[in-house]
Amino acid sequence: MSEFQDSIWKDLLKIFENGIEIAIEKLQNRDIENIPGAKDALVQRLENIKVHFPKNNGDLFLKSIDDKIQNSFFPNTKNFTQAFSQILKSRTHEQDFIINELLNGFITSKAKAIALGTQGPVIDRMVEAFSKRNDFHIVDYQFYAMFGDPNKPKHYIKKQLEKLIDMFGLISKELVVEKDVRKSETKVYTFYTFPEDIINILEEKYLVKDEELGYTYVSDAFDRNVFICMFLANLAIHRDNIEKIGGAYTINGVCTIFALILLLSFMPKLTVDETNPILNQSSFDQSKMSVIPKSWMMNQVLETLFEPLIKIVAYRLGGGLWLTKIIDSEVNKKIMNQIRFLLKDVNKWILGNLCRVEIPIFVEIANIFTEVMVGYNEE
Amino acid sequence: MSYRKKSIRTSRSGRKREKWTDILPRYLTFISHMRPILRETRRIIADLDADLLLDTEILDKIREEEEKRNIRKVRALSEFSAMYRSNVYEIIKNFIVKYRETIPIIDIKDYIIEFLYESVDALNLLRHITNPDESNLENTFLFVLVKFIEDRVFPRGANLSIIYEKLLKFSPEFYECQRHLLQPHTYYREKINNLDLFEIPGISPKVYQIINNITSLFNLDPNFGEYPENDQVEIPMILKNEVFLPYIDSIANAEEEAIEKIAERIGLRSINEIFLAPTHDFIEILLGHNYLRETKQQSNVKRLNPQFSNETLILHYLAFASQRRGFLSKELINWISMNFAFLIYMGILKWKLSDENIFYDIFKDLQTNEKVLPYLMKLICFPNYLGLDKMKIRDSVQYRKEIFNFIGSTIDNLKELIEDIAIYCEKFDKERKNN
Repeated sequence: MSEFQDSIWKDLLKIFENGIEIAIEKLQNRDIENIPGAKDALVQRLENIKVHFPKNNGDLFLKSIDDKIQNSFFPNTKNFTQAFSQILKSRTHEQDFIINELLNGFITSKAKAIALGTQGPVIDRMVEAFSKRNDFHIVDYQFYAMFGDPNKPKHYIKKQLEKLIDMFGLISKELVVEKDVRKSETKVYTFYTFPEDIINILEEKYLVKDEELGYTYVSDAFDRNVFICMFLANLAIHRDNIEKIGGAYTINGVCTIFALILLLSFMPKLTVDETNPILNQSSFDQSKMSVIPKSWMMNQVLETLFEPLIKIVAYRLGGGLWLTKIIDSEVNKKIMNQIRFLLKDVNKWILGNLCRVEIPIFVEIANIFTEVMVGYNEE
Repeated sequence: MSYRKKSIRTSRSGRKREKWTDILPRYLTFISHMRPILRETRRIIADLDADLLLDTEILDKIREEEEKRNIRKVRALSEFSAMYRSNVYEIIKNFIVKYRETIPIIDIKDYIIEFLYESVDALNLLRHITNPDESNLENTFLFVLVKFIEDRVFPRGANLSIIYEKLLKFSPEFYECQRHLLQPHTYYREKINNLDLFEIPGISPKVYQIINNITSLFNLDPNFGEYPENDQVEIPMILKNEVFLPYIDSIANAEEEAIEKIAERIGLRSINEIFLAPTHDFIEILLGHNYLRETKQQSNVKRLNPQFSNETLILHYLAFASQRRGFLSKELINWISMNFAFLIYMGILKWKLSDENIFYDIFKDLQTNEKVLPYLMKLICFPNYLGLDKMKIRDSVQYRKEIFNFIGSTIDNLKELIEDIAIYCEKFDKERKNN
């Protein structure tokens, strides 16, 4: 790392420390928690983060972001196949939750913005389109039938299709028919499919090949998350080419989501009293969920915690280029407020308590921090 | 003298209110064409020497012969029959080619016959799902299955509180289905605020976000104000403006303008045009389910602290829609009845067909779905069943394609409900036979 970059990193760590300090101050003034000791646990955790995260040149951030998050969702490689395979490997049933709940909304809105004429869930339709055929291709006419608007010229939807294909990193093949049956005219069909190397990876679990009949079907496991993995892999390998990955909008969205993953992983588990009604709720599963403090979601606290964290994530994932694209303004504060929308199934409200579903990525990042804390206490 | 044929239409043009006796035959039309094809095929396969099956050309020839026997005059029906028959034969051929090296041909033949038996059985049940004259209603599959699903995801009740209670009872198991029922995939056709009509639309993704945000704001940092119906109590309220803070470039303008309508559907009301607070009726419900906790203030005024769950407001929306089911939007009616029809159809298939049945795909095919489900949707809307306005069910082929396209992308929770329906079918069938 050059001296210049090093100074940016140091500044970011400093801003993060300041942010935590302000958050602690704001927390001291108000108590909105309904579980005794929750506020103290959160303040204590933030104090520890403030002390330990900037240590050793932000070693804990390097481990959490460079190792855990990048490995699972955003591999640091230029090879598409490798990136895809790595993201796909990190899929577990629970991990899919996070991909689904957090990234879905973002990708769907992006896909929607591209296929503007339809507004339907584009990825679901793509999955359907691949499932309906027995050669693991979709043909452009299928796409026109699914998304086309009869009132608009075909070239309009063609452009949208190309954007969508780019977004997921699919490839196209052309088939020229000299004379079609109906009009005896030359016709060009464009087929879209996954790159050969990706198909090889998918064959393990997501495709069923019938050698005898020459068919390729998708298995039940083939779902929208395969497209989401393609999307992330495509973003990860083209991280230096901002135009190609959709500009500042994509960068802000991705960094916000990863910052939320970090923040949620840092939250301490709370012990609830055995008389707490949440324990009688059938939607609360003690073995998979934990109650975490909710005061970090207060407007005043969220902004101070989140802004530096988003910048840190941006810098680690895309260096100075990404950092400059983080919108440092009122708009960004609004984006931070959108965190509350994302609380659906990964993080539920149950009787006014915020519950985190303990999926592997949260546990892994939390473990890094716990290890450091244990080491520190032993010293 | 004009040679133009005079119109025989005497009534005004427009859609006619269809009666039960109009729709049921249409529902039965395609099913009664599928069943004989499967039965004929079963007979042919059973009569055929197993070794002959090894040569797939023989199957092609049999199919060609069968097609010649087609005596149907209506073009749509003969086309459908040809398509259906060729699909059936194609599946049989593929099955033989796939397994002829590994499974003895005699066993393959037995499998095919067994799968055909199951399929004919399923079609038989779909054919006798109800009675033409609706007699002995409680003893028909259509009625009991609609009621079974209705109880879980769209219950009826004398008042909102009872409906809410019923929904809550099933929400640990089927909350995702309940939520799904409110989220039509054609939401972009919905008007969230129809000035001329009291109409309840479905929940669009943006409205869903707004409801999530409202839940979070109540749980995090609510204001407290005087309870209009009782000055000794303080109720929680949140700032309307705060709900829309996260939106950039006024992308939630339409929702902001219609916030009072949205609020009404989730049990909230506007106070002083600034705040959103629970309505009097909803407060009673919330207290009953621990979503509000009473604390005593120093001034002796009681304060109601909110402790909402994810489902608290969504279930109110669903209960509200269920209670006022006569006022649902066109999109929501199509969506709800489509889901009911799909659940019933899939539940019966799940019960009758084994998981490895090779003909499952024909039943799930869009071309089969669009022949059976639209009429089932209309039947389900009749007063004895869901009691929805069946005139709002769209007949356009394009629209059917649009909504049925989503049938494939079902959520896991729907699959669990389908399994429950299949188990219930078996139980009901046994009870019916015992009586």
